[in-house]
Formats: sequence, C-alpha cells, structure tokens
Amino acid sequence: MTTTQIRFMALLRRECNRFFKIKRQTLGAPLLETFLYISVFGAALGSRIDKLHGVDYVVFIVPGLIMMAWAMNAFSNNASSILQQKFQRSIDDQLSSPASPLELLLAFTFGGFLRGMIVATLTFCAASLLVDLPVDHVLVLLPALFLVGVFFSQLGVLVGVRAEQFDDVSVAQTFVLQPLIFLGGVFYSAALLPEPFQTLTHFNPVYYMINLVRYGFIGYSEANVALSLLFLTGAAAALFTVNYRLFRRGYKLRA
Amino acid sequence: MVDMALQITDLVKRYPTGTEALRGVSLDIAEGEFFGLLGPNGAGKSTLIHCTTGLAQPTSGSIRVFGHDAIEHYGEARLAVGLAPQDLNLDWFLTLEETLDYHGGYFGMPKKDRRERSKELLEAFSLTGKKDDRTRTLSGGMKRRLILARALMHRPRLLILDEPTAGVDVELRLELWHYVQRINAEGTTILLTTHYLEEAEQLCDKIAFINDGQIVATGTSDELAAHYGVDGLEDAYLELVGRKELSRGPGIVREIAS
Repeated sequence: MTTTQIRFMALLRRECNRFFKIKRQTLGAPLLETFLYISVFGAALGSRIDKLHGVDYVVFIVPGLIMMAWAMNAFSNNASSILQQKFQRSIDDQLSSPASPLELLLAFTFGGFLRGMIVATLTFCAASLLVDLPVDHVLVLLPALFLVGVFFSQLGVLVGVRAEQFDDVSVAQTFVLQPLIFLGGVFYSAALLPEPFQTLTHFNPVYYMINLVRYGFIGYSEANVALSLLFLTGAAAALFTVNYRLFRRGYKLRA
Repeated sequence: MVDMALQITDLVKRYPTGTEALRGVSLDIAEGEFFGLLGPNGAGKSTLIHCTTGLAQPTSGSIRVFGHDAIEHYGEARLAVGLAPQDLNLDWFLTLEETLDYHGGYFGMPKKDRRERSKELLEAFSLTGKKDDRTRTLSGGMKRRLILARALMHRPRLLILDEPTAGVDVELRLELWHYVQRINAEGTTILLTTHYLEEAEQLCDKIAFINDGQIVATGTSDELAAHYGVDGLEDAYLELVGRKELSRGPGIVREIAS
C-alpha cells in the first residue's frame, strides 16, 4: 500500500469505526424503524389498500423505504460525525496531517455512504423475508442507489461542516430532509395526488430519486428514468463540487 | 551553516472580523534547538502554531519546515511536525491504542510500524494498562500524556508543545520535562509555549517573546534579561507585558524594606 492509500484507509476506518461502536443507535435503530414502517403501513394498513399500479401496496412502498434508509443514514452519519469531531476539536488530528482536502472529503463521504449501504442492505434482506420483492432493472437500481448514497452523504458533509451546534443538524434533518423524503412519495404514488400537490411534488428532488429506485425494483416510474438519472448525477456532482471548495478553503474547519 | 527546522517570514494572520492575530512575524528555529515562545494570552502563540500545522490559514508570509513549504505544498512539512495542542482534543469514541493507530495511519505509517510504535509509546507514557479503554475515561493527566504520545507517534523531527503542562501535577510535569529533554537530546527540535517561566528557563536554549502579534525579542534567558536591563527572565517578561510593578526581584525587596 502507498502512503496515500494507508492514509485514506485510516481516515475511512475511523469513520466506520465510529458507527460500528454505536451500532445499536446507528444500525439497529434505523433497521427497526424501517421494519416498523413495513409492519404498520404494509402489513396492517396495506391489506385495506388496493393494488397500486399493479403491485401490492407493501411492495410499492418498500423501494422507497430502502432508499430512505440509505439517504437518512448517509446524511445523519456524516453530519453528526463531522460536527462531533469539530466540537471536540479531535478533527484537528486529521486536519494537521498531510491529508489533502480531497482525501478528507472522500473519507467523510464514504463513512456515511457505507453506513447507509449497510442499513439499506439489511432493510432489503429483512423486507425480502416479509414480502416478495422483485428486482426488475438492476442496471438502473444499482447506479440509482449509488447516486442517492453519494448525494445524501455529500449533503451530510455540507450540513456537518456548516453546523455550529447539534441543533443545526437536527433542524436540517427534521425540517428539511424528512419532509422532502416523506412528501417525495415514499408511501404513495404522486399520480394520485390532487392539484396543485401533484405539480408541487415535481419540484421535490427526492421524488425523482424514489421513482428511480422504485423503477429498479418493480419496473414502475412516474418520471423519465434517463432524465432522472442525469439529474441525480448532476445534483451529486454539484454538491461534491461545493463541498470540495469548502474543504479547500477550510471553511469552518481551519481558522 | 546551521539547518533550520522552522523558518517563518513576515507571517500575517488576519481573521475575517478584521482582528490581526499575527502582524508580520519572522522567526528562525535551528535544527535540534529547544525553543520557547512566551507571551501573554492572546499574543498570537497558538495562532502561530496553528498556521505552522495547517489548522489556520495565514493571510500572507511564508512558513518552511526543514526547508519544505508548510502552506501550499504542505505534505512533507506536515510529516515533519508533531503537535501536542493546548486543548485535550481526543476523540471520545476511540480507545488509546486506536488513537495512536489512526494518527500513525494519517501520516502513512504501515500497520506493523504503527503497532510497534504505539506499543513503545504506551509503555513509555505508562498507558499500556489502559490501551483498550476509551479516551473519555482517562484522567486529565493521562489525556495529557496520550496527547504527547500521539504527537510523537509518527516520529516528527519538529515537536510543537502548546502549553503541555497547563493544569498537570508536579510529578507529571517533571515526567514530561524529562521525556522532552531526552528526545531533544536525541535530535528532535522542540518548540514550546508555556506560561511557566521557570519551565522555559530550565528547558529552552533560546526564547522569543511575542506580544500583540509581533516577536518583540529573541535570545537566551540571560540575553532577554540584558535586553530589558533586568535580573532574570521573569522581570524581562514583566517588562514585556508592562507590569514591572509585580516584580519579585531584589529591587522591590529593597523598596519594601525601606
């Protein structure tokens, strides 16, 4: 291994070590939460709801839940990890090392990305035991989930870097992220919404992400798949660029 | 010609608020020197250290560590510097062994080397029995020792100690003094900031006074006393901060007696 590889692995191991050490909170709790969503909305209420676009209601919502698990965990991991290290000033150990801004950004990004991936994979496995979940377009599903992971990891990094207190992270999570995800159509089809809500939903970026993931699983999408993929790639790249500039400037990291 | 461990030239650090923490600081520290940086709170000591280690971004000026640029192309410069900061900035989630291991990793040390070096340092600082404990469970003195061990993990040629003995008991202070004197004798250059003047007097070959973001005087303890026309380092320091009425020197004793 080169010194750059050793350094990057150390930075990444530190990020993963953190969430593995508190796995009841970082892996167990989100898994239970998703399981409860499937039980309540799928098994309990779903039996009273007609099929949506040819699939059982519970099957319709599971792709959104998997996407939500990846997104929320990627976001909250990175935002909390960065803020906690800033708060303790333990981040100075990384900042005073020879690590470049790009290495630091990638390590923080992939910490949350991997946590999201683990929770989403466990959610998928658990859901597969409970419902018959198809995977219709794996070549759309994998890049879509990858991009969702990268996008929300970047968003977590951005919020973590900008945050000055823990309240800043929970405000972003509770008042911005959660409404966007819930109103993006995890639990319903936007096509069933009355106007103007149907049109308003089209301005929610998460709507396109949910549609991509849903298309990957059950082959149904209300949005153009190619355009959605393009939009998501552009959004993830734009966020990455913003974060890279902030890391290069040392914004709220270096005095 | 003497090789320079640290060369700072015309360093200016201006914060966005307009505060100028460093106002054209120039400082040379020769390789192998034990150098003290003294000054009152807010004089610019920590800012100077932060600029050297990448924790603050200088507004202008240059910093070279063993000839390597420490601002733009900082890779080699940072490899050569170990920082034991004033704050006990340990990661609560990590054990002592992990703290050293990750630090070694950040500086590119291979696994085998990291394992051997962390074992050696935990032993040297009497922390072996605690190696699997999380850092938040340590006492203040143990945290201070771990921070010094972490700074030494990647075998830096320049060790920066920012008030390393603030708030530690006499026993640990003497223990730390012995350790840093030993590594200085082995060739490590040391930059020390402290508020304990006797510490600077006993340990440092050379001392610089910094005040209001500027280096005011540099020299040995005796040279600084001579510079201010006083008897010792303490009186020289009191002259620096404009509080000579606090002097405990012979002059004041005579005045009280009369």
